[in-house]
Amino acid sequence: MKPGLIALLALLLPGATIWAANSMSISQELDVEYGYIGGAGTRGGGLNVGSVDEHSADLKYVISPQLNKDLLLRIGFEWQRFTFGVPDHAPLPGVLQQASLVLGFDYQIADEWLMRVEVQPGIYSDFRDITWRDVDAPLVVGAAYLASADLQWFFGLRVDARTQYPVLPAAGVRWKFSDVWTLNFMLPKPRLEYDVNERLKLYLGAEIQAGTFAVGQDFGSTRGLPRLDNAIVDYLELHLGSGCSWKITPTVTIEAEAGFMPYRSFDFFDPNIVFRSHDAPYGQIACHARF
Amino acid sequence: MRWLAVFYTVGICCALSVAALAADPGPVESLKSFSDFQQVDLNRLLSGDVLSERGSLMDFPNGISAQTCFVVPVSAEETAKRLQLWDPSPHGELKVFAFHPLHTPCELADFQQLDFKMSQRPVRWLLEKTVASTPVKSDLNLTHDEAQQLAACVQKRADPQKVSDCWAKLLLGRASAFQQKGLDGAQPYDAAGESVSPPIQLRTMLREQLAIAHEFSPILKRIGLLGNETTPSLTPFYYWTIFDADYHGTISLGAIYQLAVGDHFQLVDMEYYVSGNYYTSATLFEVWPVEVGGKPGALVWRGDFFAAPMLAFTKGTERIAYGALMLQDIKKEIHFFQVEAKTR
Repeated sequence: MKPGLIALLALLLPGATIWAANSMSISQELDVEYGYIGGAGTRGGGLNVGSVDEHSADLKYVISPQLNKDLLLRIGFEWQRFTFGVPDHAPLPGVLQQASLVLGFDYQIADEWLMRVEVQPGIYSDFRDITWRDVDAPLVVGAAYLASADLQWFFGLRVDARTQYPVLPAAGVRWKFSDVWTLNFMLPKPRLEYDVNERLKLYLGAEIQAGTFAVGQDFGSTRGLPRLDNAIVDYLELHLGSGCSWKITPTVTIEAEAGFMPYRSFDFFDPNIVFRSHDAPYGQIACHARF
Repeated sequence: MRWLAVFYTVGICCALSVAALAADPGPVESLKSFSDFQQVDLNRLLSGDVLSERGSLMDFPNGISAQTCFVVPVSAEETAKRLQLWDPSPHGELKVFAFHPLHTPCELADFQQLDFKMSQRPVRWLLEKTVASTPVKSDLNLTHDEAQQLAACVQKRADPQKVSDCWAKLLLGRASAFQQKGLDGAQPYDAAGESVSPPIQLRTMLREQLAIAHEFSPILKRIGLLGNETTPSLTPFYYWTIFDADYHGTISLGAIYQLAVGDHFQLVDMEYYVSGNYYTSATLFEVWPVEVGGKPGALVWRGDFFAAPMLAFTKGTERIAYGALMLQDIKKEIHFFQVEAKTR
């Protein structure tokens, strides 16, 4: 961390000066993902859009300075992009994109309870014509109950005023039920994991990719469906697959997985037009660093 | 004039007693003076509560610490004695497969109950890691010489009896060296190309906790963890143990020292050798006499210091969670100790 930034944060945040003295008091997370989904038959609004394939990419970086024994700040950014191979003039966006800040904190509220509050203010849009309508700030509040080293429960709430379901609750569990098997049943990536050795892990699992985006003011008009102008779309994608996770160093893990996308939807909930895709293969690679 | 002399003598004695009482802050105040516990409700502790605090972040990347405080319904002297000799192995939840004292000087027979035939998966894991060890590569905490000797002894055979015998020889060498030379006899591990010394790791952690190190300086100096003394001038209780550390079988050699300091007691339980998964640990106890329901009891402060390679890569929330889980294990151990103290 640059000394200038430390000095600035020291002015803004009490306790920030300890960071310079202790490298252990700053943690960083970097997550990079790329995925491809093959062509999937897509229909909706009385139209057959045809086969739509998809490239997706996600980059997230968070720095967490520890302010005191129980409190960590989370400051960072995320960029996520879905690119769809849609035929010309099909009433689906070619790109859905998120560019946001990550602001939040982690706090130990009791001996066995940890909580996270994170808001991601930014632009969630097809990036055609950016207005204030493209700006959103979904909030995630989560708590973890550490029952034991082998069992942890997770509870979460996602709040996004712009989406069709503004408040979404979720619960999950991480249960290491033997020396090699772990049920990591946590959204958005529930998994059953098998440790081949200390570095290599195989898993079966699912993933939910979701987001809420604004499309352009003339998005519908240019595609023969004026009702979609300036609409909000809830995007949802489900993956079922298997993969492997390899810890190449104690701080860096790479993952590769492949499987099947049984369902994908573009839900323009205000005009009530939903486009759905079914059944396509997918592949994904990811790199996660914690340092 | 004689009565005057008696009067003065009695008067001086009374004055000294009052001064001594004023100078003695009492167990709770003493505890507050060096620990992280600034609010201590003795009544809650008397009812069986355990106070606990994760230690603050250390500069030493491999280190983590925690503090606890509890009351035991037996006298301070008896509590100190029990802490020194306590065998956790009867309590299945603590996942200690075996715990055995060592003679002084120790002998091969002391390790005859080290048994790799046990069906437990963690023991099987240790057996596999032992067989896989070569003079140049091992996941275990060994010197190059030890790795060489172990490989030559085991000869890549996963025979539990053979592996037990080979480990017994290795542990005997380690324990004998420690009994003879104290911390100077605790050879560093050659881990991943670097030399890791358990005593240095413990000293580094203690140096970061100045108030605790100062409070425990009487005993720490006597056992060579502080100051220049390297050969302990206290006779400890020596032991070996095998247990499950996160599904990995782990053998450790330890020594528990006890020292009476005025009306209270200090103890240090130090692992001078650990076979793998982590480097070393030390547990410090201070035991004061208190009254529990009109009967003698003991107020105990406990500090745990733990050094592990993976901690250097465990930061942020993960590290907080790690500390919280470490405290859970410590509290579990304290609970069983308290239960035993109540029933025996």
